[in-house]
Amino acid sequence: MALKQRNTAQAHVMHTVQWLTLFCVIVLGIVPLILAILRLWSVTQVSPLEALRQFPEQIGAMDALRFTLIEALLSTLLTVVLGLPVAWSLGRYQWRGIRSKRALFYLPFVTPPIVAAAGFLALISPGGLFNSFGLDLRGETGVIGWLAETTGWQHPGHMIALVLAHAWFNLSLMIRFVEPVIAQLNPAWEEQLMMLPKGQSASGRLRHLWLPVLGPSVAVAATYAFFFSFTSFALVKWLTPDFNTLESLLADLGGSAGIYNYRVDTSLGVLAIAGLQALLMLTILAVAGFLERKHTMTISIHEEHTNRKKRGTPPLKSRFIVYSLLLASMLPFVSVVVASFRKRATSQNGHTEFHWTFEGWQRAWTGDASTITLFEALQNSLVYAGLTLVIALPIGYVLASMFYRLENNGKKRLASILDTLCMVPLSASAVMVGLGVVLGLLRWYPELFMFRYLPVLPHVMLVLPFLVRMLRPAFSRIEPAFEEQVRLLNLPPLQSWWHSKGASMMAPLTMAASLCLAFSLGEFGATYLLIRVGSWDSLSIMVDQLLGRPKFDPLIMPTAMAVAASLMLTTLFVLWLSEQLRMKQGDAND
Amino acid sequence: MMSDRIFPLILLLLFAPLSGCLEPVTKTNDGCTVLETSTSNSSTVRILTYDIAAFSQSMLDEFTNSTGYEVELIRADDAGGILEQMLQTQGTPQSDLAVGLDNTYLQTALDFCLLQPHSTVAPSLDSSAMEPYSGTYALPFDQGDVCLNVDENGLNETERTFPEDLWELTGPEWNGKTSFPSPVTSSPGRAFMIATIDYFEHDENETTNAFDWWKAMAENDARFTSGWTEAYEIHYSGGYGEWVEGHIGDSLLTVSYCHSPGVEAYYSGNSTHSTSITLERSTFHQVEYAALTNGATNVNGANAFLDFLLSEDINRNMPENNLMLSVLENPTFPDTDGFSWHTDTPTMNANVSMERIAQDMETWLSEWQIATL
Repeated sequence: MALKQRNTAQAHVMHTVQWLTLFCVIVLGIVPLILAILRLWSVTQVSPLEALRQFPEQIGAMDALRFTLIEALLSTLLTVVLGLPVAWSLGRYQWRGIRSKRALFYLPFVTPPIVAAAGFLALISPGGLFNSFGLDLRGETGVIGWLAETTGWQHPGHMIALVLAHAWFNLSLMIRFVEPVIAQLNPAWEEQLMMLPKGQSASGRLRHLWLPVLGPSVAVAATYAFFFSFTSFALVKWLTPDFNTLESLLADLGGSAGIYNYRVDTSLGVLAIAGLQALLMLTILAVAGFLERKHTMTISIHEEHTNRKKRGTPPLKSRFIVYSLLLASMLPFVSVVVASFRKRATSQNGHTEFHWTFEGWQRAWTGDASTITLFEALQNSLVYAGLTLVIALPIGYVLASMFYRLENNGKKRLASILDTLCMVPLSASAVMVGLGVVLGLLRWYPELFMFRYLPVLPHVMLVLPFLVRMLRPAFSRIEPAFEEQVRLLNLPPLQSWWHSKGASMMAPLTMAASLCLAFSLGEFGATYLLIRVGSWDSLSIMVDQLLGRPKFDPLIMPTAMAVAASLMLTTLFVLWLSEQLRMKQGDAND
Repeated sequence: MMSDRIFPLILLLLFAPLSGCLEPVTKTNDGCTVLETSTSNSSTVRILTYDIAAFSQSMLDEFTNSTGYEVELIRADDAGGILEQMLQTQGTPQSDLAVGLDNTYLQTALDFCLLQPHSTVAPSLDSSAMEPYSGTYALPFDQGDVCLNVDENGLNETERTFPEDLWELTGPEWNGKTSFPSPVTSSPGRAFMIATIDYFEHDENETTNAFDWWKAMAENDARFTSGWTEAYEIHYSGGYGEWVEGHIGDSLLTVSYCHSPGVEAYYSGNSTHSTSITLERSTFHQVEYAALTNGATNVNGANAFLDFLLSEDINRNMPENNLMLSVLENPTFPDTDGFSWHTDTPTMNANVSMERIAQDMETWLSEWQIATL
């Protein structure tokens, strides 16, 4: 009886902690947005609903919406076309160093978009790799020029470059969601199907096994790919300079929004565009959530290691797919590193040429010309990443366990609503988040603006939805009997947690930790909005500052690329380290 | 569980009162009052600025060594960004000093009471720097002329002629060959739009105005970019952009400064194929200001920085450090590597007062957007 009472009391404490955590997350994530909306409403005297109705009348809004939908759709299609064969090949066979391969495929996803943009620009510029194959995606001459002329398609080269960049960025989503399904699927299913008449042909197996099994996971990956392409900003800005997405249009208008008696038209534009964007984003995220739940249910857990061993080493075709795409994935990074050593100079006869030098790295290291040193920026980035990890991981764990508990108790609807509320900061545009912080936090507590760890807040808020999505399926895989058995043992709370859940959660928690670190290191938009004081600059902000400066001085570009290369290497090191840790936990698949 | 029912209700109740917590800040027309703030003995001066290259770490260290004040830089994108951040944080200012507002934005800052008088005794300043504004709320720290830049090689190769009238740019030979930073989002773009207003108010044709010209330019496939960087670095074929990743180079003409060709030459061993167009009233004299924020907590530190910014050692080096002209008497661009040789002097700058700019800007921007739609 006493044991039962103690367990009930512990459950009450745990539930209270869960609700308080959720309350804090919602307050920090949603209140600034509510304040931003109220401010815009007050400035324009137009309600959010009426502003939404006026969306088509906003200058450039319809063009931006059309362009956003088209580029996001094309990017998603290409992501699936390229990503599915890689996920299939990685999931089916026994690869040497599969963790390193995964880490390399994940690297683009956590690369700051501004670094990715610089890498792609180098690839498509005159003298770049694409140009050497006769594909002038930037100047749009040759075959691309012909395509533009014959079809009337405006800037097809720019669109192709953007879609390629988005597919490169999102490829890891396919691996993340689809590869485990392929790897963990019980091979007996396929073997049994092959014995049946419907499973004799490849198309039959596709229709009756692979489509229902892989469909949900591909759909989840595709939905997220669509989401990230839809909200793309830096890549759009640099690769398709003549077009706007909704996000880049908002960024153009955002600066002057929310001010009484000043450029009221931009406040209305922001209210209308941000409103529509948030609605679309929430819909996409809700679809992703729904598909993900379906995806979780579909997975048939089977020992991955045994499956791979059974299928053996990859055939030549799979090797070709994985290695060629891995090589292609590394190209933008290579071009960034190369650019960090390249400086333009004028020769004695007046011709401009490039020569190889360490000067870019030297300037990055000494941090002259109004930027802090590379080492200081690295320190700042690592401190932000560490704090994000320490704060976001426990919160993500608590929320995931809470949503799992609610679902288990038959409150699926409530869990779904609360989950969506946690997603709101992710669905809002950076402009609205920034405006909300300025209007909300500044008015209540101005000193916070000078608090050097403020950027950790948006990092935590933005990474949380991913953590919850990563950890929730792991809870459903824990054997409920463990918890019941541990309860009977009357262990202290921490030991009790470890034996019932902790030990089983270590692998997903390590994965979530690496996501936290990588996300924080690469995060740009929100940090940019909040870091105002030069001495707090992170690596990604430093890259942007340098790239945004007029480059009359030939050392600016190599310096920016040196900082970008440092950021890339740091992220790769973090991913590699977390994979090593995970491997030590006995989850080896190699 | 009880808590699963109670907590959603608590959340709902806590968020409900937020709906009425914001009140509009009203703008008064009867003069400005300097905000009362708790003047701190802080040893830090907070400076709101754009990414001014002149503020190198060595310069800031020099200021700290000579005055004892540390500097914290708060960054905005450009002059417009500085004004907008000041407007958004009006009442709870985050800086002591704003550095980088220009004469197209200063009047708005004055109208909104965002500034307070300084107590710096300025040295003798160049008369052209004092022309737009000579009051006590702001001090100029650098200047330059915004004008059209054109690719000389591009003109020669395509047998186009140097334009002698802005209407020429609407002809078929310039179709798709011009790029302009948008006045809505770019400071040089805004300065050039103001110049076109004065230009077309004083040309021979009284039936057309600047926005007719902008409409004709849009119909002639002119490109409009969000910022100077996109227009100059990506599209302009005459500048350093041709050596930068991502260059397209599809425009022979863009908006920059009359001394941009000089800067090109300075960094390229006295070699450039860019030059500027200095048609009467098509250029705009831009002056950038440093001003104390209304509500500054470290007024002494801010005044000390103003003194420092206008000191001979710092301000004379503006061309090398910030690519702009000094505001001290008899300013010159350096002769090194053809900087001054490749810099053109405008024949007659556009003459539009700061008051008129502030008063008409919203209408102009709106008309510009309609014209270039």
